[in-house]
Amino acid sequence: MASSGNKNINAKLVLLGDVATGKSSLVLRFVKGQFVEFQESTIGAAFFSQTVAVNDATVKFEIWDTAGQERYHSLAPMYYRGAAAAIIVYDITNQASFDRAKKWVQELQAQGNPNMVMALAGNKSDLLDARKVAAEEAQTYAQENGLFFMETSAKTATNVNDVFYEIAKRLPRLQQAPNPSGMVLVDRPADRATGASCCS
Amino acid sequence: MYGGGSGTHQSKREMSLEYQAQISILRPSIRARRANMTVKFQDVHGFTVEGNVDDVNVLNEVREKLRQQCRVWWALEANKGVNWYLETHVSSTLKSSLKFSALVNAITLKRLIKKGIPLNFRPKVWFSLSGAAKKKSTVPDSYYNDMTSAVFDMVTPATKQIDQDLPRTFPGHPWLDTSDGHSALRRVLVAYSFRDSDVGYCQGLNYVAALLLLVMKTEEDAFWMLAVLLENVLFNDCYTYNLSGCHVDQRVFRDLLAKKCPRIATHLEGIDFDVSLVCTEWFLCLFSKSLPSETTLRVWDILFYEGANVLFNVALAIFKMNEEELLVTHQVGDVINVIQKTTHHLFDPDELLTVAFDKIGFTTTTTISKQRKKQEPAVMAELDQRLRRLNSLHENGDEN
Ligand SMILES: Nc1nc2c(ncn2[C@@H]2O[C@H](COP(=O)(O)OP(=O)(O)O)[C@@H](O)[C@H]2O)c(=O)[nH]1
Ligand SMILES: [Mg+2]
Repeated sequence: MASSGNKNINAKLVLLGDVATGKSSLVLRFVKGQFVEFQESTIGAAFFSQTVAVNDATVKFEIWDTAGQERYHSLAPMYYRGAAAAIIVYDITNQASFDRAKKWVQELQAQGNPNMVMALAGNKSDLLDARKVAAEEAQTYAQENGLFFMETSAKTATNVNDVFYEIAKRLPRLQQAPNPSGMVLVDRPADRATGASCCS
Repeated sequence: MYGGGSGTHQSKREMSLEYQAQISILRPSIRARRANMTVKFQDVHGFTVEGNVDDVNVLNEVREKLRQQCRVWWALEANKGVNWYLETHVSSTLKSSLKFSALVNAITLKRLIKKGIPLNFRPKVWFSLSGAAKKKSTVPDSYYNDMTSAVFDMVTPATKQIDQDLPRTFPGHPWLDTSDGHSALRRVLVAYSFRDSDVGYCQGLNYVAALLLLVMKTEEDAFWMLAVLLENVLFNDCYTYNLSGCHVDQRVFRDLLAKKCPRIATHLEGIDFDVSLVCTEWFLCLFSKSLPSETTLRVWDILFYEGANVLFNVALAIFKMNEEELLVTHQVGDVINVIQKTTHHLFDPDELLTVAFDKIGFTTTTTISKQRKKQEPAVMAELDQRLRRLNSLHENGDEN
């Protein structure tokens, strides 16, 4: 299938974020090119896959779209364990969802795969009149924490594919240079024990 | 169109469903049949589903079987009396002849329930056998109405979440997705969130309550079914604030799978596939989001009669039915595809239940309870550790 020199990689990607920020809508837009006003609320998590081509490589995303209700967060490690990438979603019209997004970033930085590519998505960018979170604030936060940031709209499709393409491009396995330009790597001590719980 | 509950109302409703079935089943051409094209059609409970011609035929057989079972139940009622199925408890004070008839009834009932409770018997049979009727009888008649009118305009985190989920619960269903449907579902869920503040509202219950409404026909009965389900039928820690019971169930299930389907368990472990990735939703929605509606309700027939062990048997069966296919998967996506292809097309409940009960072997609620007890400390420790780790993270984060 793939001609020699081509790379085909699988990348596990997880979407995290507060309830009703539009995680499922972003996935539906990316995977099927659709938007529906009301789609079933996600329980546990839903799985999707979609392939994107970047230069001479193809990346098959294995996407886990998680449930947002607080009590479901205890299940999250099962979905982000071993993930190559994460999209942390907040709703630009909802300040609390931005605060929640920051907590997810902290958790992933501490518990997730150290090479994880993280994107911060400020969704519902079509609802400009109701904006509560300034783009600059999110941009600054993202830069300080080694994420890349985009405002998206699952409704109008703005920047949705772009987030996934950008992630694909930044996946370490597609990178020649160890430190890809534009991506601030988080410098963290060796305490990021992954997965296995061994502390006493 | 909903909420009557009288006999004529029921049969009208049934007729209209049958009518819908006839007009909505497309007759694909031979070419389409060859191409194995999928068509959209309405199932027994008004849900739009996708399937091929075989699925349509299977569903018609299911409808026919339901009609047959209905005749059997009518005949039994004529023969043994209206509430014969309640006289199945062998009490020591009864005379021996009565004991015998109770035993016969018990055996008949068990067999009949495995074959499925017909649509118009379901409300009253579930209501009695699950213990909902008894639960309701311990409070004043006006309990539900008083409750709903007392709380309807209160705003809590639970009610906010419920309001968000109403249009996201089986969108497109001809009754559930109407303003009548939404407000009935809202009242049931909100009332329950006040009845049990430990559970409040947990996403997933929206689907469960929605199906209960469809079956029970009156909102109040649906409410009591939800109450007995969460308080007596299921293990009572399933939907609490950190879903600890769900974590426990997943561990118990993983062990069961290793015991009952060792080849599958070993293979999935080898490709690093955690079965909880698919099972969590099954257990939290009691299969309502994964299996076709009548198949789900057949599982619930047994759930309300025998208890939560049926959930484990059914989950095991879904893996078992796909053993050969699962053994050749290499990637997470392949596993999920195999599983979902099966669950979405299990239009024939007997296909699933035969495997669940004849091929898997017995699991009882008692054995499951024992296994759960064993797993609880580890789950509690894990959840606690996670919480402490996160708290310390957030404290450090806030200092910066
Ligand atoms: N205006 C607008 N609404 C959106 C957008 N994305 C999602 N929504 C709506 O927000 C609600 C929650 O979306 P959903 O994808 O279910 O959120 P999730 O809980 O994070 O998966 C739905 O009513 C969507 O229609 C968007 O980009 N713009
Ligand atoms: Mg969702």
